Amino acid sequence: MLWRLTGYRQQEFRGNAKFMGWRRAIKFDSFMRLVWGGMLGGIAVACREEMARYRIIGIGIALAALSLLSVWQVAAAQAVNPYADDVRAIRAGGALYRAQCATCHGADGKGIVAIDAPDLTLMRAREGVGDEFVYNIIRDGIPGSIMPPHGLTETELWTLVSFLATLSESGTDAEFDGDAANGRRLFADNCAECHRAGEEAGGVLGPPLTGITRRRAPDALVQSIREPSGRVERGFRPVAVETDVGESVTGVLKNEDAFSLQLVTEAQDLRAFRRDGVRQITRLGESLMPVFSEAELDAGELADLLAFLNANQ
Amino acid sequence: MRFAVRLLSGLVPLFAMTVFAQGGPTFEDILNGFGDPERWLTYSGDYSGRRHSPLTQITPENINQLRPIWTFQTGVTTRGRGFETTPLVDDGVLYVTGSNNYAWAIDARSGRAFWSYRRNLPDDLTYGASAPVNRGFGMLGNTLFMVTLDAHLLAMDRRSGDIIWDTQLADYRVGYAATLAPLVIDGKVIVGISGGEYATRGFIDAYAPATGERLWRFNTIPGPGESGSETWPDDPEVLARGGGGAWMTGSFDPELNLIYWGVGNPNPDYFGDLRPGDNLYSNSIVALDADRGDLRWHYQFTPHDINDWDSNHMPVLADAEWQGEPRKLVMLANRNGFFYVLDRINGELLLGKPFTGTTWAREIGPDGRPIILNDGSQGCLPDPWGSTNFMPPSYNPDLELFYVTARETCATYVPEEPAYTPGQASFGGVVFIEPDGTGALRALDIHTGDLRWEFTYPSPTFGGVMTTASGLVFAGDHEGNFMAFEAATGENLWHYQTGSRIWGAAATTFMLDGRQHVLIPSGTTLTAFALPE
Repeated sequence: MLWRLTGYRQQEFRGNAKFMGWRRAIKFDSFMRLVWGGMLGGIAVACREEMARYRIIGIGIALAALSLLSVWQVAAAQAVNPYADDVRAIRAGGALYRAQCATCHGADGKGIVAIDAPDLTLMRAREGVGDEFVYNIIRDGIPGSIMPPHGLTETELWTLVSFLATLSESGTDAEFDGDAANGRRLFADNCAECHRAGEEAGGVLGPPLTGITRRRAPDALVQSIREPSGRVERGFRPVAVETDVGESVTGVLKNEDAFSLQLVTEAQDLRAFRRDGVRQITRLGESLMPVFSEAELDAGELADLLAFLNANQ
Repeated sequence: MRFAVRLLSGLVPLFAMTVFAQGGPTFEDILNGFGDPERWLTYSGDYSGRRHSPLTQITPENINQLRPIWTFQTGVTTRGRGFETTPLVDDGVLYVTGSNNYAWAIDARSGRAFWSYRRNLPDDLTYGASAPVNRGFGMLGNTLFMVTLDAHLLAMDRRSGDIIWDTQLADYRVGYAATLAPLVIDGKVIVGISGGEYATRGFIDAYAPATGERLWRFNTIPGPGESGSETWPDDPEVLARGGGGAWMTGSFDPELNLIYWGVGNPNPDYFGDLRPGDNLYSNSIVALDADRGDLRWHYQFTPHDINDWDSNHMPVLADAEWQGEPRKLVMLANRNGFFYVLDRINGELLLGKPFTGTTWAREIGPDGRPIILNDGSQGCLPDPWGSTNFMPPSYNPDLELFYVTARETCATYVPEEPAYTPGQASFGGVVFIEPDGTGALRALDIHTGDLRWEFTYPSPTFGGVMTTASGLVFAGDHEGNFMAFEAATGENLWHYQTGSRIWGAAATTFMLDGRQHVLIPSGTTLTAFALPE
C-alpha cells in the first residue's frame, strides 16, 4: 500500500510496463517493494547510532532506491511507436480498425454522435494526446463507457496507432510563413466579431479558433474562409425562429429537443425557445459567416491570417 | 472457489426452499400479471409483453399535475448506452439492476436504498465491455435472478443482495455476455445469451430457480445435421460461430405453454459470403415448448441478414378478432423496418408491413419472405441499430394500437471478410452512417399496419413505451424527455426533462399508498412520479 504515498498509480505504471522490454519482466508490486525497501532500509541504516559509520552508505542506498523511480519514469517517456509511418503497419492497422473500431467510431473515424463515440480525426488536436496515450486508451478502454479494453498484441496495438495517425486532420506539419502581426490586425477587423483565437478578445457565434491549425489542414481552413457554407459543424448551424408574438430571431442552433430550441443569437446572446411558442423554425442553408473572396482577402492576407492563427495555440 | 460454489449450490435447495416459503411472489402471482396493482413482478409487467397497465388514477385530464417525487442516483454511468433496466416492484420495494452489474433494493416511497450490490467483473470482458448494460431482475419468492456481463446467472436474496448461487452460462472470454432480464415461469428461469458480434453460437436456457441447475438449452444455431442446418454451409465451424444471440427477454403464453423469443444476427454481421443460405434461426422469432425447450415453430424476418438487424424484440401477445375470427396473435416491430403479426399457435404470417421509410423491402411475398428491392446498392438502408430496436413497445388492446419507437436512419454497408481472432469481435465490414437521422413514436393499427399517428423526435431514439388503461402512452426520447401522450390521438399532454437520454428503458407503474407511481430510468438516475397528494 505504501506506494500510494508516492502519488503514482498502479494503472499508470501498468500502462507503460507492457511495452518496455525490461520493465515488462518486473511486476509493479515487486518493483515498488524494492524502491520502498531500499529507501526505508537506507534511512534506517543512516539513522541508527550504532551504525553511524555506515551512514553514508545508508543514505546512498536510499537515494539509489529513489532514483529507481525516475529511471522507470524515463523509460516511460521513451514509449514510442516502433511502427510510426510504416506503410505496412498502417495497412494492417486499417484492417484492425475496420474490424474492431469502425462500428462505433464510423468507417471514416468521424464518430457517431448518438452513442458519444468521439471523432478520432480530431483526437490528436487535444493537448497531451500522442501515440502512447492512444495506445493505452485502446488497450485499457474507458471504464464506465462502451469503449472496451482490447486484448490485442503489442504489435497490433501499435499498427492501430499508426493507422489512426493517418486519420488525423492535423495541420501541424504545415509551414506558415505569413506575417502573423498583419494577421492579428486582419483577424481583429474581420473575424473577432464572431471568433476567438487564443487570448484575443472575440465573439462566440462561430467556433473558437484557438489551436485550429492543429485540427485542420491549411487547405481546409482556406476552404472554410472562401466558402463558409460548404461545411458547417453541428452546434453552428444557422436557424431563423419566428415566435407567436411576431419576433424574428436568427442565430446558430446549439441544441434542440422535441419541446425546445437553444440558440446563440446573432447578437450573441443565449436564447431558448419553447416550440409551442414558435410559429416557424427555418433551417438556413447559408452559414451566418460572410464569404471572404479574393477581393476581400487576397492570398497574401490569407497567409498572414493563417500565420496568426498558427501562433495562437 | 469453484468447488465452494458447487458445494454451496448443493446445499442451496434446502436453504432456498425455506427462503421461498418466507414470502415474495409465487409463479401464480406472476401469472396474475397486473392483477395486483401494487406489484410489477416481471420485465413487461405480465407475460404478454404488452407493457399495458390497467391503472387509471393518472389520466389524460390530470396528467398535467404529474410531478417527480424522488430521484435515485445510481452513480453508475454507461456512456454511449443507457440505464436500460425495468425495476421490479413488490411490497413497497423496488429491485433494480444497473449498468456494469450493479443492483439495488430501493424504498419505493422515499427513493432510499436498502442495499446495493456490485459484481466484481474481470477486466478482460468481451462483448460485455462494449455493452455494459442490464435490463432487470427476474423474481421468485425472496430470490432475485440477474445475468452478468461475464455471462453468469446469479440468484440473490432480495432482502440482502447476498448471492445464493452463481451459474456460468458460457465462457465470456470467447465473446459471450448476458444483459437481459431473466423470465421466471413455473419452475424455470429462462435466459438468453449475448455476443453475436463474436464467433459465438447463441442459446436460450432454462435453469432451476432453487439450484441453478440447467434444465434445457435451445441452440439458436443448429448443429451439423440438425433441422435448420441445411440453411448454412455444410461446415461445423461455420455453424459453431454462427452468432444468433438471444439477448432480449421474451414473452410466455401459459395456456399454450410456449415461450416466444427473438434471435439475433448471424456472424459475421455484414459479410454474408462465408455463410450462404438463410442462416436459421438467426433474425427469427422462435416458439419453444416451455417444459423441454423444443422448437415448436419459427418465423425468420430477415433471411441471410447482412445488416446486423437482430430480431431481439419483445414479442407482444394478444387475442383479437382477425378478419372475423378470434386469433391468438404475436406482434412485433422489427429492426428491418416491418411490423409483423403472426398466429402464435402455428407461426402463420398474418401481416407484414413497413412502419418506416426503409427502401430495403416494401412488402412480404406470398412465400412469407421479404421482396428485397435494395440490398444497399440502390442507396442507403436503415443503420445497424435498425428501424427500431429492443426498447419495449406497448400495445393497447382497447384501441388495438401498437406503439413503437421508430428510427429513420441512412447507412451504407461495406462488407469485408473478417479475420477470426479469439476474443475479438468479427463484424465483417464497416458501416457509414449519415449523421442526421430522426426518430418518432408511432401508433400502428394492428390490423393493417397503418400509421394512426406519430410524434417526431429530432434524433433517432432508443426510448421504450408503456401504456395505461386510462388512455395514456408514456415514452422517452434521446434528448432526455419523458413524455405522455393521448393514446388515441397522439396529442402530447405532458413532458419532463430528465437530464439524460432515455435509452432502452420504458416506464413502469404501480399503486402505493393509494397513489399511482410512474418510474423512468434515465442516464444515471431513476425518477419516480406521482400526482400531488
